[in-house]
Amino acid sequence: MLRNLSFARQILPALALIGLAVAVWLVLGGLPDRSTAQPAEQPPKAVGKLANEPRVAGAGIVEPASEIIDIGSALSGLVTDVRVRPGDRVEKGQVLFTVDARAAQASLAQANAAIGEARAAIAEASTAQKTAREQLALYRGLGDPAAVSRAEVIRAEGEEAAATSRLGSARARLAAAQSAAAAARTEIERLVIRAPIAGEILAVNIRPGEFVATQGGGNSQPFIQMGQTNPLHVRVDIDENEVARVALGQPAVVSPRGAAELHVEATFVRAEPQVVPKRSLTNSAAERVDVRVLQLIYALPPSDDFRVGQQIDAFIPAKAPAAKGEQ
Amino acid sequence: MLWIAIRMLTGDAQKFYGLLFGIGFSTLLITQQMTIFVNLVERGASGVYNAPEAEVWVMDPVSRTTDVSYAMPATALDRVRSVKGVEWAVPHLRAVANVRTKDGDLEGVAVIGVDDATLIGLPERMKEGDKSVLFAPDSVVIDDTGTTRFFPPEQSPIGERLELNDQRAVIRGIADAIPSFTSTVVLYTRYSNALNFVPGTRNRLSFVLVGVSEGETPEAVAARIEAATGLQAQTREEFSQAGVNFIIENTGIPTNFGITVFLGFVVGIAIVGLTFSLFLRDNIKQFGALKAIGVTNAKIVQMVAAQAGLVGMIGYALGVIGTVAFIRGFGANPFFKGFYIPWQIPLISLAAVVVILAITGLIAIRSVLKTEPASVFR
Repeated sequence: MLRNLSFARQILPALALIGLAVAVWLVLGGLPDRSTAQPAEQPPKAVGKLANEPRVAGAGIVEPASEIIDIGSALSGLVTDVRVRPGDRVEKGQVLFTVDARAAQASLAQANAAIGEARAAIAEASTAQKTAREQLALYRGLGDPAAVSRAEVIRAEGEEAAATSRLGSARARLAAAQSAAAAARTEIERLVIRAPIAGEILAVNIRPGEFVATQGGGNSQPFIQMGQTNPLHVRVDIDENEVARVALGQPAVVSPRGAAELHVEATFVRAEPQVVPKRSLTNSAAERVDVRVLQLIYALPPSDDFRVGQQIDAFIPAKAPAAKGEQ
Repeated sequence: MLWIAIRMLTGDAQKFYGLLFGIGFSTLLITQQMTIFVNLVERGASGVYNAPEAEVWVMDPVSRTTDVSYAMPATALDRVRSVKGVEWAVPHLRAVANVRTKDGDLEGVAVIGVDDATLIGLPERMKEGDKSVLFAPDSVVIDDTGTTRFFPPEQSPIGERLELNDQRAVIRGIADAIPSFTSTVVLYTRYSNALNFVPGTRNRLSFVLVGVSEGETPEAVAARIEAATGLQAQTREEFSQAGVNFIIENTGIPTNFGITVFLGFVVGIAIVGLTFSLFLRDNIKQFGALKAIGVTNAKIVQMVAAQAGLVGMIGYALGVIGTVAFIRGFGANPFFKGFYIPWQIPLISLAAVVVILAITGLIAIRSVLKTEPASVFR
């Protein structure tokens, strides 16, 4: 049997079949995997009721309920003291920082000196008036008109009138000095910058020794930023094409960027009356000018997951009739 | 009787191996060329296959493929997210940029910006490093083909610095990606970084990648997106096909490979036909003798068919084995990365082999069938 084994007739066909089987196995095993994969991390998505209902999506940004207040200074000068740090909670009227008040203090001292001077002048004038009046009364009380010359009487009368007017002028000087002092005190008060509302300090960009100019100095940073962060609001941009579909007043589902598994329900606050050009929330270098958006404001429940300035993805219910138009 | 036919066939070793060579060669030519053709045009769809999570691609109505696209306004993302049946949607940026290497060379690269938070849009596997390296500042992930273009083999690209649009970019990982048709170096980075790496135009969002909710089909969701947003939405299959079609329409590749496959077919017919005819003519006396002892024409056709079948089977096997060995052997070459043999192609070449043998066999057998038993005495 072995003697009859032929290469061409037996071994070659067998080898060919085996090779073919191996080739088939390799071909089938080498087919690429073109199936879709599940995302490793969850992207933002509409959940719950919204998943199967008409909805509108928007990107937004977290802001304080009061919006961000850029604290300005009424007067320019050197910062002498900063009383707050970022994260501090302040009451309305609490001192935030103080600006160098030496010039105003000097004017106050000056005004106070002028007050003293005016008071002294009043005392001097009233003494002179008193003396002149006594002398005049003495002359007038004399029975005999010849006892004193007419000229002497006129002089005494003049002295009385002069003293009276000196008193009046001294009183006026006092009033002027007092109001100057009040002005200086107001100035000093204006150099102390206070919190306009109760809230949280979000940023402090000044340090003692720095010069603050009055607000409006180009694109400089605000000195202090604060806002009411309880509650936080989100400002959601809705594409103008979708505005008609939004169901205003309905709560929105909000997820912070990078934590899409969090779904927070935010309550409706208001819609901004104006449709504005979209401010870029996508970190793009250039601003979008061709896209306009409606800004909706929603209030977030108390939570540690959101911070002012953070970007969020929001899903908002759409009006029911729009769903028919969508089909 | 069939065994006699096989003995008859293998008895003339020269012609037998000539036949095997003819069939094997044309199988190899047809299979291998078609495989390379299919893989080459499928490179047009590599961008789609490299983003395995996306079930639907949304783009501007004028966009055609992953590389021929027109950017959309940024709010397109939110409009797509609003559509029912869309489970999730993430931005995807694809753009070309010039990169300056450390040596000062300028090279064109494709920059792909994947979603910042989820990294959807990255190839499924990483060759080196972890996907999370993209969360580091200024980091990019290079594709493995690009590595060979940028760096000598002994140098690891990890940690290398590049300059993109005056921005610093640090390579922190290598992706295991299917190369693109043009084998451009691809840099993957996060969407927000990509916006800085690519010189600014007004609109930047090239694609929105969409995942479909459970219970919805990608086709239905794509149609709904198109109706609701006015943008173009294609399923993964449609969009990969669009990439393939773009290559077929815009290059001479189909003609080129078509000619080669046709030549393989012609060469197969020529060699096999000639050899088979000669072989049968040489053995005409034997067939005559068989006829003389009463073998019918039908039996003779069976005999010739058995001979053709054996030759076809062995030759075909050799050709297919050769192709598999070729693809496997060159798998390490970046040009052949990701090449595979679609299961349809061996079947097509099998059909070609059958056709070759049928044509040549029919031509050759006519003389045998006309042979008279008396010819054995001539």
